[in-house]
Amino acid sequence: MSDSLRTTVLPRRVAAGAGAYWRRYLRRCEFVVALAALAGLWHAVSVAVNNRTLVPPPLVVLDAWFHLWGDELPGDIVASLVHLGIGYGAGVATGLLLALVAARFRVVEAVIDPFIEVLRPIGAIAWIPIAILMFGIGRGVPVFLIFYAAIFPVFINTLAGIKKVDSKLLQAAEMLGASRRMIVTHVVMPASLPLVLAGARLILGVAWMAMVAAELTGANSGLGWRIFWYQEFFAMDKVMAVILTVGLLGYVFDTLLRWMQARITRWSADGSEAEQ
Amino acid sequence: MSETQLRWLPLPVFGSVLLLWELAVRQSGQLSLYPYPGGVVEAAIRTVGDGSLLAATSGSLYRVLLGFVIGGLLGIPLGLLMGLLRPVNRALSPIVDSLRSIAPIAWIPMALLWLGIRGNAALFIVSYAAFFPFVVNTVQAVRLIDRTLINAARALGASRMLVLRAIILPSSLPVILTGARISLAFAWGSIIAAELAMGIKVTAGGSGAVGLGQLMVSTLYIRRDVNGLVLYMIVIGLISLMIDLVMRRLQRNLTPWR
Amino acid sequence: MSAKIEGRGLCKTYVSARTGDEVEALRNVSFRIMPNEFVSIVGPSGCGKSTLLSLVAGFATPTSGEVLVDGSAVAGPDPRRGVIFQEYALFPWRTVLGNVEFGPMARGASFDERQALARRYIEMVGLTSFEGRYPHELSGGMRQRCALARLLANEPEVWLMDEPLAAVDLQTRNILQDELLRLWGDGGDPALRRAVMFVTHGIDEAVYLSDRVIVLGRRPGQIKEVVAIDLPRPRRALRNSAETGRYIDHIWSLIRDEAAQAIVEEAH
Repeated sequence: MSDSLRTTVLPRRVAAGAGAYWRRYLRRCEFVVALAALAGLWHAVSVAVNNRTLVPPPLVVLDAWFHLWGDELPGDIVASLVHLGIGYGAGVATGLLLALVAARFRVVEAVIDPFIEVLRPIGAIAWIPIAILMFGIGRGVPVFLIFYAAIFPVFINTLAGIKKVDSKLLQAAEMLGASRRMIVTHVVMPASLPLVLAGARLILGVAWMAMVAAELTGANSGLGWRIFWYQEFFAMDKVMAVILTVGLLGYVFDTLLRWMQARITRWSADGSEAEQ
Repeated sequence: MSETQLRWLPLPVFGSVLLLWELAVRQSGQLSLYPYPGGVVEAAIRTVGDGSLLAATSGSLYRVLLGFVIGGLLGIPLGLLMGLLRPVNRALSPIVDSLRSIAPIAWIPMALLWLGIRGNAALFIVSYAAFFPFVVNTVQAVRLIDRTLINAARALGASRMLVLRAIILPSSLPVILTGARISLAFAWGSIIAAELAMGIKVTAGGSGAVGLGQLMVSTLYIRRDVNGLVLYMIVIGLISLMIDLVMRRLQRNLTPWR
Repeated sequence: MSAKIEGRGLCKTYVSARTGDEVEALRNVSFRIMPNEFVSIVGPSGCGKSTLLSLVAGFATPTSGEVLVDGSAVAGPDPRRGVIFQEYALFPWRTVLGNVEFGPMARGASFDERQALARRYIEMVGLTSFEGRYPHELSGGMRQRCALARLLANEPEVWLMDEPLAAVDLQTRNILQDELLRLWGDGGDPALRRAVMFVTHGIDEAVYLSDRVIVLGRRPGQIKEVVAIDLPRPRRALRNSAETGRYIDHIWSLIRDEAAQAIVEEAH
């Protein structure tokens, strides 16, 4: 990838000597400044509206957040993570396995394909009512929904990744004397890893959304459920606090996966740049 | 099995699954408990006939399209700004990323409070959902612009304005259109989620505007019609497909050089 | 002496993925390569030379005819027929050392054995200080050296090369050609040289390196002429000699018209 693709369109001023050090320091500040400005704006709006329920001021929300940490928040986080863990884990595992089988046996792929084409557009969200009927309000709905949301993209992505493996690499391995099993473990898997990981990040995002939606509507535990629980009491400051927690956690997970992606595929020049 | 045989395999497989499904449910005698193909067809005829399906679907679609437009009108300029000016990108990008990780429907309580139970709350959620893919993809689009193309234009004597109009905009169009496609798909998913959540959780008063989501909820709790639910799921899926097809066709027509 | 590689009446027809038509890539190609011979295959674009190589390598099967190595038919890829690909086909997730030791590992060598073997060949191609690098960190020339080391580590009896120097710049190419000759045994005992089948676009390269040049025509691919290159070895000093030039002119005259045609016909 040439450097020209990575620069911005407008010219950059040349950094010089001591100025460069200041510039770097200033750069870090830019984010903090923007954040402060946003918080300031929020505060201004809350003061103008002057209604704690309608627009809870930032400091009140912060205060509520700290309170929640000692109260129900950790339990909610654990509940949500359990939902996510089981659903996402099972979805990824099943999807990967099915993709490996489908890559090996064309018949399997041909049989599974129509179901995927039909079910994929429907989306996890639409399953909520049926899921509620099947599992009742509780843990089943979020776990099922996350599983469903994860399994399709994982399967499709992994299968595509396996197919995209450069046939020349397979030929080279064959020529060098590798057995069939060795080709799968030593060539197909490492070669498809970048695409699979890039997909896993996207799918975590999808699964996260499914989790929130499912907990909001069909569960009795977890962060999503808690949002509406506070809303019943019109404790909007707590509602905001939980919403921000959801966002924060989602961001943390995404960053984690991005880090993992970069580390594992540091051998691939374009693998780590693929997904931003 | 040969390639052509494999290609035609889906049809008989799918058909036989449907048949077995229908027979199994009829056999069990529990026609009101399990959905089955025949029942879904019957529900379709009914809801199309009494207009409820059309009304709900158009309600949802209307809000989706409106939210999509709002998201685009706000998202594309912001994306351009962030893509073209490094400091703006550095400042805003963590904030955008954090807000992006908050699922749109998590905002429902706030939206309901601010905008009321009427469709406006759902519209807010949809606009929120549509906004971010536009921003992300537009930033990416600007980043991917090949510097050498701009240099070539400058060497041919183009002014900055011309470069913007004739190079930057067309270059970034394909990726921005991809962002539009993702945005619309995401918006469609979000409206259903929002309507479902409002239908299930908001018990006070009427639910105001009725979309597919609310229709599903009333079918779930009031009518208890599983076949109707499956029907609505299929409708949701069909509209997703249509959106995707339309957007891809649009993309192809607007950027024939790809 | 019997032939190391022999092709008898090879025909290959396949269906083009792009147009859906049947393409006759090779028609009735017969040839022999002796055990210590360096043979090049040249021809205009679309003459089927890469197809021919993949038949000999065992990646594809002929529509009719057969390929014999040491008298027995080819039934698939085999470490004894080592291949170098145009785009190197190095495993990007393995270091240079990891790539070169892959062959021995696949054939069951112990960790110490294959590390030692790999290191020996890495040194032979001059990449010792890069053995811990990944392919994407290497230049084109270094990647080709790595691919060569990987080939040699399996100690194949036959070297099959598909335009190995097409992707590097001209200066690197000349250097690599000389290295290839050195590794092959250009200046030494002929009996120690392996049979080589070298596919290339470059006529000058073919003449410089080979004992014989098989010239293919296109549409369908068939043998136009087999030119014996009667130049002494080692070839080092002969890169620009008059004699070499005469061979090049002769071969070029055989394919010039078809090459011009190919430029037009290869448009999408």
